Amino acid sequence: MDLNSTSTNKFKIGISYALAIFTFIAFVVFVVLRQTSQLRFSGYEDYSDLIFGGFLNTILLSLIALTGSMILGFLFYLMQKSNLKYFNAMDDIFTEIIYGTPLLVLIIIMAFLIGPSFNISNFNYMGILAIIIYMAPYMKNVFKSGFSSISDEQYMAMDLFGFTSFQRYFYILIPQVTRIIMPPLMNNFSLIIKGSALLYVISFPELFQNILSAQSRNYLYVEGYLLLWLLYLIITIPLSRLTKLIERKWSL
Amino acid sequence: MKLKFTNLNHHYDAHVIRNLNFELSKYKSIAIIGISGSGKSTLIRLMSGLEKPSEGEIVINGMNVKEEAHKRRVGFVFQNHNLFPHLSLKRNITLVLEKTRKKSKEDAENIAMKYLNLMHLSDQVDKLPKNVSGGQAQRASIARALSVNPDILFLDEPTASLDPILTHEVLTAVEELRDIGKEFIFVTHVLSFVRDFADYVIYMHEGEITEHGEPGILDQPKTEELSAFMEKVR
Repeated sequence: MDLNSTSTNKFKIGISYALAIFTFIAFVVFVVLRQTSQLRFSGYEDYSDLIFGGFLNTILLSLIALTGSMILGFLFYLMQKSNLKYFNAMDDIFTEIIYGTPLLVLIIIMAFLIGPSFNISNFNYMGILAIIIYMAPYMKNVFKSGFSSISDEQYMAMDLFGFTSFQRYFYILIPQVTRIIMPPLMNNFSLIIKGSALLYVISFPELFQNILSAQSRNYLYVEGYLLLWLLYLIITIPLSRLTKLIERKWSL
Repeated sequence: MKLKFTNLNHHYDAHVIRNLNFELSKYKSIAIIGISGSGKSTLIRLMSGLEKPSEGEIVINGMNVKEEAHKRRVGFVFQNHNLFPHLSLKRNITLVLEKTRKKSKEDAENIAMKYLNLMHLSDQVDKLPKNVSGGQAQRASIARALSVNPDILFLDEPTASLDPILTHEVLTAVEELRDIGKEFIFVTHVLSFVRDFADYVIYMHEGEITEHGEPGILDQPKTEELSAFMEKVR
């Protein structure tokens, strides 16, 4: 009886999801039919290397930005926790400035204003650095919530048993914090991937930029935009499903 | 146990412990009772060395609790089990023994199993704290506190977050420790446990020790505060 009702329930949920997905596909088909009667994706075959290269570059630059922003974010977390007031103030002001700046503006300022004044003419490096700096305060918050979720009483217990500082971090704090921060970290990774599309303004050869340049040669705009959208979803949807899985498996 | 408080005061924002001067010798199992907010949890934390008093001194068995060596002779059981949540019940104990007591892997394993058996947990040792009942986790926490071979075991309302059945299960396990050769200081709301297990009772009210004596004081309270308390819990 019980088993029966759960399987009916699963069936209902399955049907609902199928209908919802169908609704979205119908919407996309409607939009496409308003523009063209025939999709010619074959026109992109000649540019598949270019697009695949952009796809890989997007993933690669996002991984670099993820690592960089985690390091910078952790430094800002330490500055926020520091007893030195100057560090607290630096962290506070940096955070305010970054929160108030659109990513697009930060990329342009890094590439065209700050880069040249340090004789750095490679826009690509400055573009990645812009994303790293933009994400740092968000990463700081991830670390902050990770460490604050460990109760005072756990620290008391560590103190009473006499764990050294190194042992506390290595055996108790970091293993717990890693599990806690993994889902928000992966959400931030998804934000980085999506945000990286803005690097097209400095002609960084990532996915968006490369599809734009293919489009400008074969004039297949509808197909290009659909491809662009689909390729981002191919990265972000599995990532978000994986995040949910880890969230469930790793919860403490 | 010899116990001495001298001009003991503690405040956070409020004044929680009010100028205690108190001395006790010979008793082995001391219960601290009182309503919530009476300062009993604070007092047990101060005695165990988890927190430092704002003013005054606590000396237990000849040693000031401020001394680092005091931490090596106490075990503490918290209200919520407070096990490290990412480690199995057994690893919670072996980690402590290997890293802070320099035991070999085998010794740590043997000691852990000895105390987990004592707490009737031999079939749960590899589970994470979230995968056992609250009572089992609390018993594992008692096993962890005992594993470092403390002279004095502190228990701060060990059953506060448990239902009556699990409370009974945990307190029965503690009663079985009677002859283990340890001294006990504990805070609890369960008066039947106080009668069974304590040989001395301290009643706290608004940061002061209002009444104290052998468990008989529960039946013949001398102060109005303790009578009122006994009326309420009865």
